[in-house]
Amino acid sequence: MRKLARALALLALLPTAAAAYPERPVKLIVPWAAGGDTDNIFRPFGQAFQKQLGETVVIANIGGASGTVGAREAKNAPADGYTLFAVHDYIHLTYYTGVSDVAHTDFAPVCAVASTPSVLTASPKTKWRTLPELVADAKARPGQITVGATLGSTSHFFPAIFEKAAGVRLKYVSYDGLAQRMNAILGGHIDLTDGNLTQKGKVDAGQLRFLAVGTEKRSPEIPDVPTFKELGLDVVYAVVRGVMAPKATPEPVLATLDGACTKAVRDPVFAQSMKVQGTDVHHLDRKGYAAFLARVDAENRLLAQELGLLRR
Amino acid sequence: MLALLADGILDVLQLKYLVPLAAGTLIGVVGGAMPGITITMTVIMVLPFTFGLEPLQGLAAMIGVYVGGESGGLITATLLGIPGKPSSISTMFDGFPMTRKGEPGRAVWLGVWASFFGGLLGGVFLIGATGWLAEIALEFGPWEFFALFIFALSMVAGLTEESLAKGLLAGALGLIITIFGADPIMSVPRFTMGSELLRGGFPFLPVLIGIFAFAQIMTDIERARSLAESDASARDLVSLAVSHVKVVGEILGRPFLLLWSTFIGLLIGVLPAIGGSAASVMAYDQAKKLSRHPERFGTGTPEGIIASEASNNANVGGSLVTIMAFGIPGDAVTAVMLGAMTIHGIQSGPLFMSQETTLAYGIFAAYLLAHPIMLAIMAVGARWFLRIVLVPKSILIPVVLVLCVVGAYALNNTMDSVWVLALFGVIGYGLVKLGFPLAPLILGLILGDQIEVNLVRALMTDSDPALFVTRPISALLLALSAGSIALALWQRRRQRRRQPAADGAPDVDF
Repeated sequence: MRKLARALALLALLPTAAAAYPERPVKLIVPWAAGGDTDNIFRPFGQAFQKQLGETVVIANIGGASGTVGAREAKNAPADGYTLFAVHDYIHLTYYTGVSDVAHTDFAPVCAVASTPSVLTASPKTKWRTLPELVADAKARPGQITVGATLGSTSHFFPAIFEKAAGVRLKYVSYDGLAQRMNAILGGHIDLTDGNLTQKGKVDAGQLRFLAVGTEKRSPEIPDVPTFKELGLDVVYAVVRGVMAPKATPEPVLATLDGACTKAVRDPVFAQSMKVQGTDVHHLDRKGYAAFLARVDAENRLLAQELGLLRR
Repeated sequence: MLALLADGILDVLQLKYLVPLAAGTLIGVVGGAMPGITITMTVIMVLPFTFGLEPLQGLAAMIGVYVGGESGGLITATLLGIPGKPSSISTMFDGFPMTRKGEPGRAVWLGVWASFFGGLLGGVFLIGATGWLAEIALEFGPWEFFALFIFALSMVAGLTEESLAKGLLAGALGLIITIFGADPIMSVPRFTMGSELLRGGFPFLPVLIGIFAFAQIMTDIERARSLAESDASARDLVSLAVSHVKVVGEILGRPFLLLWSTFIGLLIGVLPAIGGSAASVMAYDQAKKLSRHPERFGTGTPEGIIASEASNNANVGGSLVTIMAFGIPGDAVTAVMLGAMTIHGIQSGPLFMSQETTLAYGIFAAYLLAHPIMLAIMAVGARWFLRIVLVPKSILIPVVLVLCVVGAYALNNTMDSVWVLALFGVIGYGLVKLGFPLAPLILGLILGDQIEVNLVRALMTDSDPALFVTRPISALLLALSAGSIALALWQRRRQRRRQPAADGAPDVDF
């Protein structure tokens, strides 16, 4: 009897049903195909996350239309904390370039987990060894040097920022996804693309060239590659990936998720798998991520406007 | 190199690699046989288990899934007339009629043995010619891809049945289906009529299942009464027994067909983003063109099964080439494998073969060993799954229907796919009723997006359209397309003229 009373008292203490969260598996929507860069980051994260959360985290790849199909699915999911959304900076770009109606404000931020610096990568069939050589050539032949990019997404914006900083004009060709761009650049069908450290193997083999990296300081993984900054160009660009939840997700659920995420990013297995992928663990909590999203959103809007891609 | 391969095989023969390989193959066969469950989904399912394993253990499991899946698809295609996965569509064209003629055992085993030989031959090429094949693939720019897809599309002319006009219309319909939804370049919505569902377009697999599975099921239901009677007599009529010597003889007795289909499969596999379905349709079309009795295709001829299955298993070997040579995934399945390597910290790329020699040859060995394992699984399993044809249709049809719907949902985890499945089920049934062939439609559907993307890409790279005919590979492929259409038309005319005489001809081909 006393036991029962104690149990009832405990029950009464629970503020809402949400305190029992999570009591079943959580679905994490990755809006791209399995095996892509984003998937490769969130699969190890999912493993670390579920250890902290105490429930299975299921990765659901919902690809299509530059990642906007998954975004729409996540936006329309019940806001109960059982559907989460793995996201990166594309969410701002697809919104401002008119590709999608889903904006980051349709979600509640949970945390940022990783940051992958962009590296300007050249085909081996081009003659440039260094960034200044490329800039000089691009000035001599405006609009003729080709860049493979997922139009309206991060791989479009990174070269576009460089274009603006260097005062040159490039020609963009649509290649959706890194794998397709790699095939085209190895064969010399495009001259430049947005790469990252996962392509280091091809650079070591002389099949690709890293011209400059979009970080503040040189990366210890590729110490020979200069930053744009030391070459006098103000280009800093990295793709930050994080987790969001549908807008109306209850506060206690978000707090639980935030707490689990903070611990998950410190998991040494996760850190190791990020290191081998040339990605930095980059944690921001709910508040930090919200501030970051707001800042990046404004930057992206301005950028889209300057590049003549703003459709809103 | 042979010594390295022998080492690789001895390595993989250890239990710690052999168990994941065999388990993967078994899972692959089962997944491949389920309509709507793709090999990609099956590989993704296996992926999390590989995090805790050694890299080669994980890759062996995935290769097993890949090889097993390509073979598993033929079970449903031949026995039920429903493709278990896209690349078994052309297996169905002749496999299912053969089953209807009362030879399900022969149909399945022709497919299994053709997969086995095609896969192994593909493996030999894979090991010998990785570098060489990969070099060719790199030469393919958007112009060449465009010309290649046009060449593939020209096969519509060969795949039409009695009416050329209906065949061409079906092909055009396939192309039109790919126009709906966000355009592949800037995601500008097209023909969405303001509907959220149409924004994502019509995803390939639900359309495929809808058109084939539903159309098949509906015609089965129409004949349900007579089928119920035939169920009773099926036990006596259907021969599940099969002479393996005879089946193997049927395949090896056509060495040219086997080699040519394998080659097509490999080549299509090496080229990125095309996949096994195009390979098997192309091999099927080639077999038909080169056959002395093209009119027998579609009625249960062994050549059709052999061409399709040999090419789709060789296609697996081809897809592994690009991942081994450049670290670039050729299709969704190898993308997942590459992901697994990346997570294990293995640097993929051109130095992979020299830096990770043991692992590279382990992958080759796993690929080769997966084939005998697949054969063994089929040998044990055949006893049970061949009985599918004996299950009363009143039980079978609802079960297959449920599997189709579940498969469509699981594909992207959204209900949208299920609505697409239902819509195209109705369309497919209507087309069958009106006498339209479905093969050209599927070809249009497979190729539409790729033709568009590569055309736009080529013109974005260089606005000069003359490049399509001045670049040698592209020009050659376009010339081949014209030749392919001419040959198909000539064959039709000849066939029509010889029709009365051809009936009593003996059963020899190639």
